[in-house]
Amino acid sequence: MTNTIDRFGTASRVLHWLVAISFLLLVLSGLGLYAHTFFGYFDLFGGPQQGIMVHKWAGIVFLIGSVLLFLSHAGEVCRFDADDRRWIARLGGYLSRNAEEIPQGKFNAGQKLFGIFAVIAALVMGATGLVIWDPTAYSRELTQASFLLHSIFFNLFMVGMIVHVYLATIGNPGTLEGMLYGQVRRSWAKKHAGKWLEKVVKD
Amino acid sequence: MKRKAFLIDTTRCTACRSCQVACKQWNKLAAEATVNHGSYENPPDLTPLLYNQIHFIEQEQGDDLRWLFINRRCMHCADAGCVKVCPSAGALYHTKEGLVAYNREKCIECHYCVSGCPFDVPRYDTKQKVTKCHACSNRVQNGLLPACAKACPTQSLKFGDRDQLIAEAKAAGKKLYGENDLGGLGVLYVLDDEPGTYRLPKNPAIPASIFFWKDVVKPLGILGFWGAVGVAALHYVTIGPKKLDDADDQPRKGGE
Repeated sequence: MTNTIDRFGTASRVLHWLVAISFLLLVLSGLGLYAHTFFGYFDLFGGPQQGIMVHKWAGIVFLIGSVLLFLSHAGEVCRFDADDRRWIARLGGYLSRNAEEIPQGKFNAGQKLFGIFAVIAALVMGATGLVIWDPTAYSRELTQASFLLHSIFFNLFMVGMIVHVYLATIGNPGTLEGMLYGQVRRSWAKKHAGKWLEKVVKD
Repeated sequence: MKRKAFLIDTTRCTACRSCQVACKQWNKLAAEATVNHGSYENPPDLTPLLYNQIHFIEQEQGDDLRWLFINRRCMHCADAGCVKVCPSAGALYHTKEGLVAYNREKCIECHYCVSGCPFDVPRYDTKQKVTKCHACSNRVQNGLLPACAKACPTQSLKFGDRDQLIAEAKAAGKKLYGENDLGGLGVLYVLDDEPGTYRLPKNPAIPASIFFWKDVVKPLGILGFWGAVGVAALHYVTIGPKKLDDADDQPRKGGE
């Protein structure tokens, strides 16, 4: 009996990191448009025009990648049961040192909520991004509203991503292994995804 | 430095378009081929090669025709939407005379200013750089009048200290457009009718979406970023990570 359990297949992991890299590129290439303070970030790409070009194409990759990533996990992500509701009510036990673990499926309720938020945010960023791809292509009102929505969802996405990265790395040791190697330790599965472990063992 | 401004008395304008021609000559802007669309107005709108334009308002009144003329151009707002949205500091800027000028070298071709302007003024040239009236800032800095004001034969187009122009107009009993809007416009009009007749917004303002984007969402976002980083760090050292029970990972012997 091995100590590790398969969690994410190769295609799933590659897709996740493709989305992650395009997100990082989008942040770095977009910050120069966000505030004067960050204008220097354009230098990473060789100048503002090149930075904007990277932003546009990374945006296409990110939009398509995010939708595919969501669809590939939609079955688990969109189903919430009584344990999930308890998990949400207790904020996953993250506010206490000794909280009991509420048994969770392959993804806990927080991951499910983040998955749904991420695809909605990616669609909003993508739609508004296409409008401002050429800021003179559509009506002024639509373009102005798109700038506003693009910046609101960027802020939400940034905060969400900081929480996601924290919880998936140092906040929950062992979690990153699943996304790096595709396998997690049995102790990790028992603690974080009890119901999923039972199901996997049974199969 | 006292703030400079244009004062345009539309009631004195004869639509001779000396201002259009003088501007083209000083700024070395080529002539453009246009199509007759049934009016003496030509060209019909601002273009990348036309920084100021006489707009014709032609109203039929029975057998008579009412002809109104207005010189359209950048309004040189104190609270300028274009400067507010421009991501490249110094690409669009206020000169020390309070006029809105631009530096083509710093323009990053993003076209944001087109959305930020409440008066639909900025145009992009064939090299995708912003162009608009800059009040001949190079002339003004050397003590000269802008080319258009210099050329105007009817004194419809005046340029000078903003406070003085306003005081003179008020002393003459004229009603001004743009005295207080957007922090005070750098182009003040004496109109012969409602602003709407001249296709001017009655109360020009920065669009609400632009205000929320730049003055609310942007600072909140920076707060949100550091807030999230701070909360994560605080969580790590107070409540701490969810550590794994390594006993579960000990190799198990068969049968146990």
